[in-house]
Amino acid sequence: MVGGLDFSVVRENLPYFFLGRYPEGPLGGVALTLYLAAISLVLSFFGGLILGLLSVSRNRVIRWGSMAVIQMIRGMPLLMVIFWMFFLLPAMLGSGMSADWTIITALTLFTSSYMSEIVRAGILGIPKGQMEAAVSTGLLHRQAMLHIILPQALRNMIPSFVNQFVSMIKDTSLAFIVGVTELTQIATQINNRTMLYPTEIFLFIAVIYFIMCFAFTELSRWLERRLAYRKAI
Amino acid sequence: MLTYKFDWAIVTSGKYFDWIVSGFYVTIKLSAVSIVLSFLLGLIIAIMRMSHLRPVRWFAHGYLEFFRNTPLLVQIFFWYFGSYKVLPAVANDWLVTQDFEFAAAVIALTIYTSAFIAEDIRSGVRSIPKEQMEAARSSGFSYIRSMQYIILPQAVRLTIPPLINQFLNLMKNSSLAMTIGVAELMYQARQVESYTFKGFEAFSAATLVYLALSFIITGLMTLYNKKVLQPIRGR
Amino acid sequence: MARKIGVFVLALAMVGALCGAALAGDTLADVKKKGVLVAGVKDSLPPFGSVDPNIKKYVGYDIDFVKYIATKLGVKVEYKPVTSANRMPMLMESRVDILAATMTKTPERAKQIDFSYTYYLTGQKFLTKKGTVKSLKDLEGKRIATAKGSTSEQNVAKAVPSATVLSLDDYPQGILALQQGKAIAVTTDESILAGQLGMLEKNRATKGKYEIPDLQISMEPYGLGMRKGDTNFVKFVNDTLLEMEKNGEAKKIFLRWFGPNSESPINRGIFMITADKMGLE
Repeated sequence: MVGGLDFSVVRENLPYFFLGRYPEGPLGGVALTLYLAAISLVLSFFGGLILGLLSVSRNRVIRWGSMAVIQMIRGMPLLMVIFWMFFLLPAMLGSGMSADWTIITALTLFTSSYMSEIVRAGILGIPKGQMEAAVSTGLLHRQAMLHIILPQALRNMIPSFVNQFVSMIKDTSLAFIVGVTELTQIATQINNRTMLYPTEIFLFIAVIYFIMCFAFTELSRWLERRLAYRKAI
Repeated sequence: MLTYKFDWAIVTSGKYFDWIVSGFYVTIKLSAVSIVLSFLLGLIIAIMRMSHLRPVRWFAHGYLEFFRNTPLLVQIFFWYFGSYKVLPAVANDWLVTQDFEFAAAVIALTIYTSAFIAEDIRSGVRSIPKEQMEAARSSGFSYIRSMQYIILPQAVRLTIPPLINQFLNLMKNSSLAMTIGVAELMYQARQVESYTFKGFEAFSAATLVYLALSFIITGLMTLYNKKVLQPIRGR
Repeated sequence: MARKIGVFVLALAMVGALCGAALAGDTLADVKKKGVLVAGVKDSLPPFGSVDPNIKKYVGYDIDFVKYIATKLGVKVEYKPVTSANRMPMLMESRVDILAATMTKTPERAKQIDFSYTYYLTGQKFLTKKGTVKSLKDLEGKRIATAKGSTSEQNVAKAVPSATVLSLDDYPQGILALQQGKAIAVTTDESILAGQLGMLEKNRATKGKYEIPDLQISMEPYGLGMRKGDTNFVKFVNDTLLEMEKNGEAKKIFLRWFGPNSESPINRGIFMITADKMGLE
């Protein structure tokens, strides 16, 4: 199968695939993909934590409100969230927002709503007796949540978080829609220019994405085994 | 001063409303065709993944890992723009006389989703106690037959909730078909925007449709859990 | 559920009201203050705008005009890639200051943004495999590729109503569809097609196999796009364009990208940059 393919187009554009126009212009390609994914992941971690805590709040209004927001974002395609951010952010914040940050905001919002479910499940997965015990020793509900429940829940959630990072790397490919020069956009650019090698180009970036994602999938599995082992002691 | 004038009428009636409706139909058609194919393919891959033959098992494992860990968008581009070099000429010639955009979207969505479904089915099968297989084998069923009559029917029942969940994802993912010119809901919303410059109204309409679909599918899942699974598990 | 939807619609409406508050500022003053002119350009559409693989810089007809304007302003240029589908929002939401992206002036668009004088005049044609299309009749009932959100898309639907219009993200993807037999023709402005044909000619595998038959279905005057009501900036750009015509710079740029020795030779004919409105008078 691979016999008829000509990968010289990949070899000739290798630096462009990995760095984009850097150092002549802004960073792009694989480097930008990883950058977008990493920043969005860190922000989503906090976003997910906040939304998750709100969704187990004892205040009914907060609980329902946050659940409504979470369900709404989860009900939309990511592409739709991106279009909304593209439309709304400049209207709300003025013109200062770059396309990179628009994508980061959209990814963060989208992933936070998924992470909040992980956080919620993690918190609800800790036996109720622990909260009761903590409160009976004189801790406030808030303190017990922060110091007793959350740390345990977070540890159980680590593999799921890493998995989200994998989804995040894949999701950054949608940034192409709004002209952010990450890996997929770079690939279409090269494809548009060279015209004859779409098979080679898309196969190549598929493999690059696979390598990045698979590495993190394996990391998550390793963490899962390790954490399970520690718990067993 | 730039003021935005709302004009909801364009998306509630007339030509642009028809566009949105036709986009809705295409989204439904695309998702329905792809979920059926994904299920069948996913089932095959899951069975291969549990096979006794090592090469078969390895192939299935490789398939799973590769397609789950590659962005769907890239897969769509690959099948639409790149497949002509890897498909046999006959298949390619036939495909281009068909609705190639739709076909490429179905192929990409099916392969991507089947990889997830296969894993769901496998974990469904693994949750069936081993003794059942042993019992089936010792009462004279072959491996294939015991899978077919004893294990899979139970596993499939357990797999239905994750399957509905995959359908939900698939429906949302189908929006990416827009990038290769499949006139589904998102494509039409964007089309309305570029003809009328009323992006706000167009995207609101499409968002409402997606949300309505999501709520219906989620509702079905809750219903299934309550009516079918809980009575079984409750015993 | 009904309540959830109600809340959602309300939230949307509120944000929508905020949209109305966006102001069209004075770009000319802003750009001078920032020291940077942000230009929305095509990134893989030679000879208008593309990234040169060797020097990793934007080059093309559109780029040269932007460069001249920026030099006159005494500022640097920052290029942002846009597509036919997203360029109008990019401008209206202030993500770019000016659009130099093969954009046809139309009355509908002119309601949303302001255009400069016509800086390029072309017409919509078709790019096909050699000998397959001789008249519009040959296109009837066939699949014709073009770019989403372009005037080409709207024109071809009118000119050949029985054809299926295949709308992709941008023109080069249409060329791919044409090569692979997924469409019988790619339709857009002759100038863009000439650029694509030039690239096909450069390649041994496709050399001599494609052509642009003499079938024109519309006139396409290109204008630089600026925000509505941005009067100072529009005036500055228009004056600059006239100056470029007068001092020969406009013609020099034309010859660089479309001259007899270029990869996509086109005759400039009688076209000159003048103080026109829609470019059709």
